[in-house]
Amino acid sequence: MIVDFQMNSLTTVTESGPGTWSVELTAGDNLLGVSINLEIKAPTLDIRKSLITVKRDVMGVIPEMSSLAEKLVGVRVGPGMTKIVRELVGGPKGSDWISDLVLEAMEMLVNAITVQELEKAAIKGGEQIRASGDGPKIFLNDVVIGPEMIKVLGANPRLKDSCAAFQNID
Amino acid sequence: MDLKSMPIYSRMKSCGVQKQGESRRVVSGVLEDELYAMQCEISVDWPSRTIESVQARIKRFTTVRCVLAEPVFLKAEGWKIDSQVEGRIKKELGRNGCRHLAILMVDSIRSLVRAELVRNLTSELQSNPDLDAVNFVRTFFLENPELKTIMKLNPDNL
Repeated sequence: MIVDFQMNSLTTVTESGPGTWSVELTAGDNLLGVSINLEIKAPTLDIRKSLITVKRDVMGVIPEMSSLAEKLVGVRVGPGMTKIVRELVGGPKGSDWISDLVLEAMEMLVNAITVQELEKAAIKGGEQIRASGDGPKIFLNDVVIGPEMIKVLGANPRLKDSCAAFQNID
Repeated sequence: MDLKSMPIYSRMKSCGVQKQGESRRVVSGVLEDELYAMQCEISVDWPSRTIESVQARIKRFTTVRCVLAEPVFLKAEGWKIDSQVEGRIKKELGRNGCRHLAILMVDSIRSLVRAELVRNLTSELQSNPDLDAVNFVRTFFLENPELKTIMKLNPDNL
C-alpha cells in the first residue's frame, strides 16, 4: 500500500540563444541525487559546456565527477554518442548511472528538435484516433501521424524498424 | 520578461515501489512530456525475481501505429530480473514495441531493485545501529551479483 522507494526525474530543454540549447536534468531517488547541465550548439550539436553536480550519494559510490564532466565538451549529439559517453563518464572510474542520465539529457534535445517536424507531419498526414490506452472519457490524442506519413518518415534509416510504429510498413 | 528561459521540451518521470507481503514487489512508473504520456505497472515475485505481471499503457503518442506497442510489453511476464534484463527490455520490447516505454520500464525495474537494497539496509540498521553499512552493501552485491548491472551503483567504488 505505502510506497517505500521513489525515483523522480525532470529534464528541460531551453533555447538559450540562436542555435544554442541548454539541457538541464535533475534526477534522484532514496540513494542518489544528481543535476546535469549541458549546453549544446548547432549545427554540429556538440556539447560546449557540461556540469555534473552530485547532490546526494548515501552510499558514497559516485567518484568526483567534475573532471569527467569536462571530458564531455566536444561530444556530439548523434550516432555513436552512447559508446563515447559511456566510456567518458561511466565504467569503473565513473558512474554508469550518471552516464545513462547524460545520454538521456542528450536524447531530450533530439526530442525537442523533432517536435516541430512531427507537428508538420501530423498536419500534413494526420488521422483521428480513439485508442484503447487513451480515454475512455477524455482522450489525449486528437490527431496523430497516419499511415502514409509513417511510410515517408520510415524511409529514414534511423527510424526504420526502430519501434512498432516503423516495423513492417511496406 | 525572459522568454529564453521558457522550456521548449520537458520530460518528467516518476517510479514508486511497494512491498506487498513477503513475496511480492510492485512498481508503478509514469512518463510525461510534450509528445508522450505512458505508464507501466510491474509485479515481481521475490526472491525468485520473476516478473509476474505487466500493465503497459501508452496514453499520448505520435502515430496511429504506436498502440501496436502495448501488447509487446506483456512478453516480459515470466522474465527473471538478472544482468540481462535491461538489454532484453531495450532490444526485445523497445525495438519491437516502444523505446520510450522501454526506458520507463528499465527505470521501474532499477527502482524496484534499489528499493530492495534500501529496505534491507534500513531494516538491519534498526536492529543493529552499529552496522558496518559499507560491508553490508558489499555483502548484498556478493550475494546478488546479477543485480549489479541493473542497479548501476558501481559497488567497487565503495
